[in-house]
Amino acid sequence: MSWLLRRNMLPLHSNSLARRPLASPPPLLPAPLPSPRETHLWYVVPDQLKDASLLNQYMDLLSPCERQSVLRMNGERLQKGALLARALVRTTLARYCRVSPKSFKFRKNRFGKPEVEWNKYDLWAPPPLQFNISHTSTMIACGVALDLPIGVDIEEKQRKTRNNILSLARRYFSPVEVAYLRTLADLESQRHEFIRLWTLKEAYVKALGRGFSGAPFKDFTIRLEASNSKQVTGESKSDASRIVVEAVDHPGILMNRWHFALFELNNSHYAAVCMERDVKDPADRENNSLKLEVWRTLPFVEDECVTETAAVKNIIR
Amino acid sequence: MASISGTAIATFARPQFAARAQVVKGFSGLKSVSFSIQRNGFPSVRLQPAPRRFQVSCAQAKPETVQKVCEIVKKQLALSDDTPVTGESKFSALGADSLDTVEIVMGLEEAFEISVEEESAQSITTVQDAADLIEKLVEAKSS
Repeated sequence: MSWLLRRNMLPLHSNSLARRPLASPPPLLPAPLPSPRETHLWYVVPDQLKDASLLNQYMDLLSPCERQSVLRMNGERLQKGALLARALVRTTLARYCRVSPKSFKFRKNRFGKPEVEWNKYDLWAPPPLQFNISHTSTMIACGVALDLPIGVDIEEKQRKTRNNILSLARRYFSPVEVAYLRTLADLESQRHEFIRLWTLKEAYVKALGRGFSGAPFKDFTIRLEASNSKQVTGESKSDASRIVVEAVDHPGILMNRWHFALFELNNSHYAAVCMERDVKDPADRENNSLKLEVWRTLPFVEDECVTETAAVKNIIR
Repeated sequence: MASISGTAIATFARPQFAARAQVVKGFSGLKSVSFSIQRNGFPSVRLQPAPRRFQVSCAQAKPETVQKVCEIVKKQLALSDDTPVTGESKFSALGADSLDTVEIVMGLEEAFEISVEEESAQSITTVQDAADLIEKLVEAKSS
């Protein structure tokens, strides 16, 4: 597959994206496939994008349908965010598949979850990658896993809510979660924990892929559970406890099919990942925790693996 | 915390036409119809304001309701006064993520003294949808 981009395929539109002939973009850093139980997370910080011609390169990766969706966003800032999100998904997947980012087709499953449409590729077997994306105005993240459902959610640490935290929790969270939030004495801690719990719940629902109504927030609890198994990961800061999910109607029966990671990203965001376990894999059955590799990227410009750095900290699994 | 593809909202299962389908049953405007003019099937004599092209609704919400919803949405999403928000505005296009959406729903519940079911909340994609739902609930409450 070549990197050659078709020129002048963009419809005319009046916004700040200048139309000029595009040179071929530099190749993307390829990435080795995620191993079992491993999530790869790639994130981009929109403010780091200063070069308008880069926006053109990204726009050129998109399908006509995606371009229209981007342009339907209300205002330039939201359009740039939507464009970056699509560019991030395409370039991230391209790294694993060694094809042009342009070549992916996407569709939604019957519940609306976006996924790659793989049957286009007759002559070779692409890796069965699953992905999920999340964005805020200051960061976009794309999680990738091999052959297992994944959900990702990020949120700004400083996010304020208009409504009172406990009111929101009583309305949308499970009783156990509300009780937990009420144990926190100061409002700031409550707000932080609310946000962290929200990202975990979102990540779980997104991993399930059945949409918000497929797994109403009120119907399940996410919490910490003291763990019997040893944590293999050296840098884990939890005291042998793990994040678990259970149905409100069946407390104590943990839905072990799912494992989680919750951490701080780039000092600015909370991030949650939820991934299905491979029940056929004996190692996974022992409740070993999810492995995480994280890259900061500006596609076609720079990539940095930040897994062992201060950009990824306070990991709870 | 927004997700994709397409869009911004993590609650990506939005059965856009499901809500419409429920409402079609109650559409009474088709009782007296004259099809002498070839059109898209809309009656030439309208008993109510013209429905929007791809949507059929029993009754569209009052402009004041739509206006109030716009205000609540603009406040939640911290949009500037000159950002155009109308009935047609889609929440996802305004940059609302799932937490924004639930906060908007709570704001609407408070402002209109109603209670919105989770399933109904998920079918709201535009400001107009929200306004229509509110009026339905307000009416149900008072009847």
